[in-house]
Amino acid sequence: MIKVDHISKDFISPKKYPGLKGAVKGLFSSEKTVKTAVDDISFTIQKGEIVGYIGSNGAGKSTTIKMMTGILTPTRGECTVAGIDPNKRRKENAQNIGVVFGQRTQLWWDLPLSESFTILKEIYNVSDDDYAERMEFLNRVLELQEFFDRPVRTLSLGQRMRADLGAALLHNPKVLYLDEPTIGLDLVVKDNIREAIKEINEKYQTTVILTTHDIGDIEELCSRIIIIDEGKKIYDGSLTELKDIYGTKREVSMEIKQPEKVKELHFARLFGVEEEDCRSEFDKENSVLCVTFDKHKIQAPQVLSAVMDVAEVTDVQIQETELAEIVREIYHHGVIER
Amino acid sequence: MRKSLKIYLPFTLNELKRQMAYKGAFYLFILISMFGAFINYYLWMAIYSSSDKTTLGGMTQNEMIVYVFMVYVTSSVVSISIANFVSDDVVKGTVAMNLIRPIDYRLSLISRAAGNMIYHFLVPSVFIWIGVEIYKVKVFGLPAVSVWNILLYLSSCVMSFLIYVLFDFCFGMIAFFTTYIFGLMMIKNALLGFLTGQLIPISFFPEVLQRAFDFLPFSSMVYTPVMIYLGKYSGKMLGFMLIRQAVWVILLYVLGSLIWKKVTKRLVVLGG
Repeated sequence: MIKVDHISKDFISPKKYPGLKGAVKGLFSSEKTVKTAVDDISFTIQKGEIVGYIGSNGAGKSTTIKMMTGILTPTRGECTVAGIDPNKRRKENAQNIGVVFGQRTQLWWDLPLSESFTILKEIYNVSDDDYAERMEFLNRVLELQEFFDRPVRTLSLGQRMRADLGAALLHNPKVLYLDEPTIGLDLVVKDNIREAIKEINEKYQTTVILTTHDIGDIEELCSRIIIIDEGKKIYDGSLTELKDIYGTKREVSMEIKQPEKVKELHFARLFGVEEEDCRSEFDKENSVLCVTFDKHKIQAPQVLSAVMDVAEVTDVQIQETELAEIVREIYHHGVIER
Repeated sequence: MRKSLKIYLPFTLNELKRQMAYKGAFYLFILISMFGAFINYYLWMAIYSSSDKTTLGGMTQNEMIVYVFMVYVTSSVVSISIANFVSDDVVKGTVAMNLIRPIDYRLSLISRAAGNMIYHFLVPSVFIWIGVEIYKVKVFGLPAVSVWNILLYLSSCVMSFLIYVLFDFCFGMIAFFTTYIFGLMMIKNALLGFLTGQLIPISFFPEVLQRAFDFLPFSSMVYTPVMIYLGKYSGKMLGFMLIRQAVWVILLYVLGSLIWKKVTKRLVVLGG
């Protein structure tokens, strides 16, 4: 459905100098600085996939989306969406896509929401029957009717976002781009929006590309994720695989009855692994022993039985590294090595 | 043609509705621009009364009064600032939202401007126009304008509108390079006041300047339709003026297309 081929985008801006003197100097200098926002990214997305496109702020997510929607022209490389190059045939491409930019609205700010929908119906040339069917569906999943006659400017953020999502879906696009669709929304609305996206994807086989900072969005919706950092693609694969590679740490917390007995336990030596593959920590206040280990080298039952041999355990908790943790790790350390 | 009318007509209608949503601002605007018209009126009264000649720049005092108000009527209908829309879109980054739709950006802007034009025509231009006409016949004893001249005037106005918005689109494109064009727009408005004949009839300018103005689109924006209304052109001259307007429409259209192509290549969308 979407093919992105070695795409890059440079932004050229006049060089700025610090201070008042610098501001004056800036008026006469013609030096330019080039910032590469997207650097040689390639990927292919199949029909019906929901892909999470993640990266820290300013990593180049939105820029890539803008190139795929035909708003920005790539400096190098090209992409095709449903067989159309969005930069050469923008209007044709626009018929195939729906876009929600979480921080903006495509609705007519001063007019009732219903007006925006009637205009969009004409713009995208949606037939009356399709319109009625689509509106019924959108009303059901997004509950638009409760504010359908109110001016857009009076809507709350959650309502506006639902309305924007509905507006992007009115013409049943083949590809739906969502740029931070759940930004600033409360949990209930977030859930509604996620449910709606899921239903739309199932019902119409819509390909969805989602950028977000909300890990919940990704875990709920995406089977595949692409991570970029400083304009470069650093990961492309399934969510489970990512967790498998980076979420290797597992943590077992045990509440111990006789704390003095576990003090002498040295797990790394016990299992014959490196120090960093197995660490333990003891919380005296709650009498909880916490063992962190590499799940590929040691199994949780091994740890448990080693402890239970020497002391009585009253409670056990096993935790896997959360996706949020993994993503944080990746943002910090940059490039992923496999 | 019918299909594109169906697509772009909602932009026009919505702009009309939008205007009505902010009534207060618009009535204030009417008041302010009426002020301008009346200042102009008293200025010319003073000039005529202190002059020995009865005609200045080819116009009698009564004609000048009709001119002043018809210029007001015409320019408030014709000069719809598209550059304003563009600069808004650029500064707020909403230009992105316009580009994700399967529509032509310029045509959508012009359609919006058309909504403004219709609104300005209904409120209050058409009433002032009728008022001027009645005043002219009853007080000055001048003959009423013929239906033929009204038709010519209106079609000339439509072309003026197109010239203005197409020019303003090209001007608005500067916003894509400089981001902020408020200052430039002030300069543009001041210059247009002179060049379009809004402040002073073009026949008052020295011969050399008038010749130079012939090669610029500005006199076609306001001056031409008003002179047609006053019946100052006839025969070949009239035909020439209308054709000149049509030529400007085409030239500015082509120029706008070329600039737009360049702009989309180096477009930067602000804010995320």
